Amino acid sequence: MPAGGIRRILVLRAGWILLAIALVLPVFDSFLPREFQFAGLMRPIFILAILGLGLNVVTGYTGLLNLGLAAFMAIGAYSYGILTCDIYPYQLSFWTALPLTICIGATAGIVLGLPTIRLRGDYLAIVTLGLGEIMQDTLKNLDGITQGTQGINPLPAPRLFNYQFSPENWIPWYYLLLAILAVVVLFCRNLEHSRVGRSWIAIREDEIAATCMGINPVKVKLLAFSVGAELAAMSGGLWAAYLGSTGEPGNYDFQISIIALCMVIIGGMGNISGVLLGAVVMIGFNSILLVKVTTILAQKGLIDTQNVITVPSNWKYMVFGFALILTMRFKPEGLLPSRQIKAELHEMDEDRRALKKKAGTK
Amino acid sequence: MSNTEVLLQQLIIGLSNGMIIALIALGYTMVYGIVELINFAHGDLFMLGAFLALTVVGALGLDAIPEPALLSWGFIPLLIIVPLFCATLNWSIDRLAYRPLRDAPRLAPLVSAIGVSFVLINIGLFWGGLRMDVFNGGVAAASPKDFPWIVSSANLLGPDSNIILTWNELLVFAITVPLMIGLSVLVKFTRLGKAMRAVAQNPTAARLMGIDVDRVIGATFLIGGALAGAAAVVYSSYNHTIYFQMGFRVGMDAFTAAVLGGIGNLPGALVGGLVIGVIRAMSDQYIATEWTNVVVFAILIVVLTFRPSGILGATVREKV
Amino acid sequence: MRIPFIVGLVGLAVLSGCGSGTPAPSGDSNTTTTPSATPAAPSGGNPSVIKIVSSLPHTGSANAQIMTIVNGIKLAIDEVGGKVGDFTIVYEAWDDASPERGQWDPAIESANAQKAVADPDVMAYIGTYNSGAAKYSMPILNNALLLMVSPANTWPGLTKPGVGEANEPMTYRPSGKITYYRVVPADDIQGLVAAQWASEMGCKKVYVLHDRELYGQGIAKMFQQASGPLGLEILGFEGIDPKASNYRSLVTKIKQSAPDLVYFGGTTQTNAGQLAKDLRAGGLAVKFMVPDGCFEDAFIESAGAANLEGNTFITFGGLPADKLTGKGAEYYANYKAKYNSEPQAYSAYGYESARAVLEAIRIAGKKDRAAIAAACGQIKDFDGLLAKWSFDENGDITTKTLSGNTVKNGKFEFVKILGQ
Repeated sequence: MPAGGIRRILVLRAGWILLAIALVLPVFDSFLPREFQFAGLMRPIFILAILGLGLNVVTGYTGLLNLGLAAFMAIGAYSYGILTCDIYPYQLSFWTALPLTICIGATAGIVLGLPTIRLRGDYLAIVTLGLGEIMQDTLKNLDGITQGTQGINPLPAPRLFNYQFSPENWIPWYYLLLAILAVVVLFCRNLEHSRVGRSWIAIREDEIAATCMGINPVKVKLLAFSVGAELAAMSGGLWAAYLGSTGEPGNYDFQISIIALCMVIIGGMGNISGVLLGAVVMIGFNSILLVKVTTILAQKGLIDTQNVITVPSNWKYMVFGFALILTMRFKPEGLLPSRQIKAELHEMDEDRRALKKKAGTK
Repeated sequence: MSNTEVLLQQLIIGLSNGMIIALIALGYTMVYGIVELINFAHGDLFMLGAFLALTVVGALGLDAIPEPALLSWGFIPLLIIVPLFCATLNWSIDRLAYRPLRDAPRLAPLVSAIGVSFVLINIGLFWGGLRMDVFNGGVAAASPKDFPWIVSSANLLGPDSNIILTWNELLVFAITVPLMIGLSVLVKFTRLGKAMRAVAQNPTAARLMGIDVDRVIGATFLIGGALAGAAAVVYSSYNHTIYFQMGFRVGMDAFTAAVLGGIGNLPGALVGGLVIGVIRAMSDQYIATEWTNVVVFAILIVVLTFRPSGILGATVREKV
Repeated sequence: MRIPFIVGLVGLAVLSGCGSGTPAPSGDSNTTTTPSATPAAPSGGNPSVIKIVSSLPHTGSANAQIMTIVNGIKLAIDEVGGKVGDFTIVYEAWDDASPERGQWDPAIESANAQKAVADPDVMAYIGTYNSGAAKYSMPILNNALLLMVSPANTWPGLTKPGVGEANEPMTYRPSGKITYYRVVPADDIQGLVAAQWASEMGCKKVYVLHDRELYGQGIAKMFQQASGPLGLEILGFEGIDPKASNYRSLVTKIKQSAPDLVYFGGTTQTNAGQLAKDLRAGGLAVKFMVPDGCFEDAFIESAGAANLEGNTFITFGGLPADKLTGKGAEYYANYKAKYNSEPQAYSAYGYESARAVLEAIRIAGKKDRAAIAAACGQIKDFDGLLAKWSFDENGDITTKTLSGNTVKNGKFEFVKILGQ
C-alpha cells in the first residue's frame, strides 16, 4: 500500500506539475532571447492533447484501437467552420459553435460506431483506418458543402467579455486553450472514476467477465467510441479556430491519428497525466524542438537543403519510429503509466520469467 | 473504342494492378495468419525494395540504354537482389522488433510495427537523396523518381489495336502466378509449410510437437519479404514512378485485399487483390476517379461488418 | 477545490488577455470585417536593420525551384549592396514545408507568419509559393500591416473581387488595407490564355483533369470557363487522386471520349509526371497541357523526358529567363555569373518580388511596417524584367505576359508569347 500510495501521489502530482509549469511558462519565456522563445508554439500541444485524451478514452480505457481519429477531428473542424464562417447562414460565435461541434462529433461517433463497434480488435483498427481515408476524400469531393481543398476560411477567433482574440497576440490564446484543456482533463478524470469509466476498464481487462457481470459491451464500447469522437471533434474545432481556417481535408490524415496514438502510447496508456506528458514530448519535439533547431542551424549556415540528411526535420520519422519501437520493447507501459496497466505488464513479465526459469534452456 | 473494348481494357488494367496488390497482400496475410500481427511496415518494406531496384538499375547502367525489344537482361539480377534484400530485412525486423514482444499484449507488436514503418519511410527519404543519376543527383530527395523502361512497351495486339496489352502486363502475370503457385505448394506439401500451418493454428501445441516456432515465424517473414521484393520490382517496372511515401497507399490496398479475401488465407489474398484491382478500374471508369478510394474502403467496411472473415475466410469462433 | 480552481484559471486567462491586447471596438458583432486598431508593432530590434524574410517550401520536390527563387532574392539584395538608404537589409529564408507532406504545411506557414509579426525587425515577407499557403499567412500579416509580396501565388481570389469565393479577397484583409502584392499574373489570365492557345493549335475537344488542390482545381476551372466561349468542347472534368499508383483506368476512360487535348490542373508534386507517363503508356497520343506548377525541371525528371517530348505544353506567367530582354537579360546574365547555373522559372519572380520590396522600403524611407506596405502600392512604371509595370488597385502586377512552352530534347523550350 505505501508504495502504491506514493506512486499514486506522484501520478496525481504529475498533472499539477505540468499545469504549474504551463501557467508560468509565458513569463519565463519572455526572458529568453527571441530566437529561443517557444511558449507561443505550445498552443498546438494543448489542442492535440485533447485529441490524445480522446484516444485515451477509446484505446487507453476501453482497449479499442481507433486509427481513424483524424476523421472525427476533421468532422469537428468542418462543423466549426460551417457553423461560424460568414459564407454560411449560421455565423455562430466561438462559444456557441464549439459545444455544437462537440455534439456533432459525439453523434458522428455513434452513427459511425454503430455498425463497426462489434468487430473484434484488429478489424476495428482497419475499419477506422479506412474511415479516416474515406473522410478525407469525401470532404474533398463534396466541395459544394465543404469548399473542397479551398478549406473554409476565415473563421472568427473567440471573443470573451469584449476581448477579441487575434492571431498576433498569442498569450490570451495560450491561456484560453490551457483553460479548455484543464476542463477536458477534469472531465476525463471524473469520467474515469465514474460507473461508465469503470465499465470501460472492465471491458478492456476482460470482455467476457465484464459481460457476465451485467455490462452491455456494445453499449459501453459505443459510448467510449463516441466520447473519443467528441473530444477529437473538439480538438478539431479548436484547431480550426486557432488557425482561422479548416485547412484542406488532407490535413486530417493518418499522420494525425498516429501522432495521437504515439502520445497515448509513449505517455502512458490509460493515464491522463501520461497522455499530457506524451503530448508535450511528441508535439514539443515535432513542432518546437525540430523547428527551432532547424531554424537556428539554417541561420548558422549549417544546413545544406540540397542534402536531405543535414536537415534536422528530415529525421523526424526516424526518431518517432525508434521512440515507438524502444518504448514497446523496454517500457511498454509508457512514461507515466496507469497503475493497472503497469501492474498487468509486470505481472506478465514475472510470469514469463518464471516460465523461462522452469524451461531452463531459454 | 467500343464499350466491350473498354471493359476488356479495364479488366486487363484491373487484373494487372490487382496481381501486384495480391503479391503484397500475401506478405500481410501470411504474417497475420501466423502471429496475428498487422504488419504495418510491410508496405514500406516494399517501398525500400523499389528504391533498391532503382539503385540497381542505376548501378547496372540500365537507365542509359534504350527501351528493350522485350525484356532487359537486367531484370534477372533485379529479381534476385531485391527479394533477397527484402527477405533479409523483413527477417531482421521481426528478429529485432517483433520477436521480443511475442508474449506482450496484442497492441505492443502493432505499435512496434508502426514504429518500424516510420523508420523505413525515413530511410526511404534519405535513400532518395543518393547522389546518383537515377535519383536526379539526389537534389530533391522527396520528389518522385522516374523508373526507366526495362520492359518493352510495344502493343502486342498490334499498333492499331484499341486495346493495349504489352509485355508489362504479361510480365506481371508471368512473375506473380508462378510465385503464388510455388507458395501454395510450399505451404501445402513441404515440412516447413506443415509447420507453418501448425503454428498458425496453435503455437503452443506446435511447440509441444517439437516445432521450432520462432524459426517458422522467421521463415514466414523471410518469404513475405521476398514476395514484397518481387512485388517491388514488378510494380516499379509497371508504373515507372517510385517515391518514399508510396508504401502507405499500396500497403493499404494490399491489406484491404488481404482482409477482403479472408486474412490468413493465401488464395484469399489473391482473390482480394484481384477484386480490389478490378473495383478500382471499374470505379475509375464507371463512377468517378475522385470517389475510387471511397468506394474501395466503403466496400472493405461493408464486408467486414457483415462478413468479418472475408470472401474466402472460414468463420472462426473466437478463442476464449 | 476543483471548481474554484477552474474559475481562477479562466479568470487568469481573461486578465492576461485584457492586459496584453487592445480590446476591439464593442457593439459590432461581425468580427471578421471589423478593422481592428492598428496593432502596435513589437518593440525592440535594431533601428538600422531591416529584415526581409521569405517563406517557401524548401523541403519537398519543389526544392530545386525554391533554391533558385531564393538565389533570385539574394541577387536583388546584393545588387543594391545590401543597403537601402541608411538601412542594412538582412535576409532570411524560411521553410514552410514539412517532409511528411512533401510540400507546404498549414501549421508551419501560419507559425512563420506569426514569427514574422513578432519580430520587430521584419518589414517584409516574401511568399508564399503555394496559393493555399497564402490563405493562412495573409490575414495574420495583414493585421500587422506587414508587407507581403508573393513570387508565385496565382489563385485569383487572393486579390481580385468577384473571381474566387464570395468573401474573397476582403477576408484576407482584416485591417481593411492592402498589404499583399504579387508579381505574377493570376490564374484567371493563365486559364484563359491556355484555352486560347489550345484553340489556336486546332484543338476542338478537351478533357480537363485536376488534382483537387486549391491551385490545380482553381486553374482547371478557369480553363473550363474560358473554353466555352472559344468553342472548345469539354468532354470531362474530373479530379484525380495524387497518390494513386497509376492512372491507366482513367486514361482508358479518357481515350473512349477521344479528345484532342488533355489539360491537367496540377503540379509536379501532385503526380503530373505519372499522369504524363500513363497517357503515353495507355496509348493516348494527344496533346497534354499543364499550367506553370509543372514548369520546373522536376516535372521532366519525374515524368521521364521521352514521355513529354514534343506533345506537352506548359503555360507560364512570364518568360523563360533566357528569353528575357532589357532589364531581364541583365538579370539572367548576372544570375548565371553569380551562381554558375541556370535559374528555374520562378527565380525571376523571386528577384522581382525582392526588388519590389526594396523599392517600397526606398519610397517609404523609414522603418515602419504600415508605411512600407502602403509605399509598395505606390510603385508605378517600375522597370521590371518583362516591361515597365505598376501594381493595380488590388495589388496585382499590371503585366500580363505569359509564355507557351514545350519540351524538346528533354528540356523546356519556349514556343511563343501568349495573351497579347
